Amino acid sequence: MTPRKTWRFWLVRLVIGLWGLQVLWLIWHFGPEAGDLARRLVRGEVGGAIRQEEPLYRWAAALKTVIPEQAAYVFLDDYAAGKEIQVRYYLAPRRHILLPPDIPAGFLFYVLHRERAAFLLIRESARPLGPGAQAACASPAFRRVNLPGPGLVFRVDADLLGWGFYD
Amino acid sequence: MIETAAALLRLLLGLGAVFFLGYAGLILLVPRPGDFTFGERTALSFGTGAVFLTLWMLVLTWWGIPFTLGRIIGPPLALGAGLLLTPRGRRTVREDLRALKGRPRMELHGWDWVFWGLLGALFLYALPRAALYPVWAWDAVATWGCKASIFYASRGLDLTCIEAHNYYPNLIPLLLTYLYFALGQVNDSLAKVIFPLWGGLVLILLHALAVRLGLSRTRALGLTAFLALNGTVFITHLYIAYADLPLAFFTLGGAGLLSLWLSGAAPPGSLPLAACCLAGMAWCKYEGPPLAATLLLAAALTLAWLRPGRWVRRLGLLAVPLMGLATGYLPWRLFVMQQKLEIGADHIQNLYPHQMVQAVGHLFTALINPFAFGVLWPALALLGAGRSLWRSPRLFLALFVGGNLAAVILAYGLAPTSAAEFPAYVRATLDRLLLHLTPVAALLLALSLKDLDPAPTGEKLPPKPSGPVFGGEV
Repeated sequence: MTPRKTWRFWLVRLVIGLWGLQVLWLIWHFGPEAGDLARRLVRGEVGGAIRQEEPLYRWAAALKTVIPEQAAYVFLDDYAAGKEIQVRYYLAPRRHILLPPDIPAGFLFYVLHRERAAFLLIRESARPLGPGAQAACASPAFRRVNLPGPGLVFRVDADLLGWGFYD
Repeated sequence: MIETAAALLRLLLGLGAVFFLGYAGLILLVPRPGDFTFGERTALSFGTGAVFLTLWMLVLTWWGIPFTLGRIIGPPLALGAGLLLTPRGRRTVREDLRALKGRPRMELHGWDWVFWGLLGALFLYALPRAALYPVWAWDAVATWGCKASIFYASRGLDLTCIEAHNYYPNLIPLLLTYLYFALGQVNDSLAKVIFPLWGGLVLILLHALAVRLGLSRTRALGLTAFLALNGTVFITHLYIAYADLPLAFFTLGGAGLLSLWLSGAAPPGSLPLAACCLAGMAWCKYEGPPLAATLLLAAALTLAWLRPGRWVRRLGLLAVPLMGLATGYLPWRLFVMQQKLEIGADHIQNLYPHQMVQAVGHLFTALINPFAFGVLWPALALLGAGRSLWRSPRLFLALFVGGNLAAVILAYGLAPTSAAEFPAYVRATLDRLLLHLTPVAALLLALSLKDLDPAPTGEKLPPKPSGPVFGGEV
């Protein structure tokens, strides 16, 4: 065997050794998740039961009974929070319009009117309500729907918002 | 209990139909399907079937025909059955049945048990993890899964009610939609089994290609386990319902078949199959078409650099995979134009050199980070180099992998993000971009391992077509 090949064999052994350590680390890394999987399997808490553990899912499931499939709704939230995409997923195929929580009242009302949105959803957050959400709470065009969950729900009468710009 | 069993049966029948379509498709594409090993045909059947079925669903949408299970699967199955009734189809089925009956028992020795054990443990975890947990990862919820449930509810490619990267290609959402029809309901946890399936097919294909490239079966199995159990990225993608694993599958198929073709070791029909893989690349992810184009570019550069006999004619033969790329790319592109869907034009605005410099650091960190890909990329760097690289068709794989690493850096140089957002943007995308290349990197590693033992004894290699090193068969 040439010295070059000997070298490469040693390199291969080094790589295999490192890989062995890597496999042990993977077992340690995925251990807790595998444990959770095993526990759920034993208890039969899989599939839909996992979703039921989420308050956001339970809220969305209740919303499904309130918002018709053909209706559109506006959702006020930060995209980066990752909650909006979940609600959109649960409520599909209802038309979904995302707007930021600090949206001014004029633009919020304009979008609601233009898109003929029938509902306004505001996900609860630690921050105070933005100007648009505050205006919605005070406007007769919005009727609060009493649905317990991590957010506020308003039924919107888009016709009452039909008088143009507000700001 | 009965409901679960019925759902599982419907799922298996649905998946079986995709395999069947691909199996029949191979009869159309390949003169002698028996030249490909069982592993190669299993993997490529599913890939081909998925491409064909989802493109058919796009055709249905174009014709304004609402989806039903019968309309989705009926005509393709009838076509597949028709192909099996042709003389070539009948001969292939006869040969396959004979081969199945006379199939020798697989003999396992020492290390084989270890590698099979590791792979078995991986799938014992990943398969239930995929099938028993609902869709939860970001892109799965925001894009692929959301589209699938809307397509199912609206019985077509309805993109009016969401803004979920509507211009992205739709192989994955349409495949999930088809499975929802097969299941008779939106069951996003059960339909997720296609992701460990894609992962398994990547491994089967890698093993088969490594054996064909000359590695012993044990070493090829070791290499397969080495890819599967190195870092967390591959494992996580077995159950998070992203399109990156299918793209990695098609990339491996395209790169592997083109590499064999360049080496003159490809069975007849490899180029049409590579074309199918390139179609799959273009149709399954937005990054697919440029990635597929780099495969063709690397193949053309390899031919131009090495100048084997009849190399100009062989350059011309690359039109076959190019047609595959066009088949996967153009129908969706035309649909997007017809529907006036907005395309993410903000992706390219300017070149930001400081981001490129940062991207180099991020890229090298990701390549050596044990959390991401373990020791696979360092192993390739240590063992892959060699003078023979510039004199052999393996240059193709090296050009493809190296060129795409450079392209990743360039792409980050073009990304329109703020300085504060840039590290998060890289974190969210880099591991996936590298996942598309990693199985091909493993294939390159296979060639390096072959150098250590060019003539393994006592191993049966699959039949190779006779011919010069640079054979010109399609």
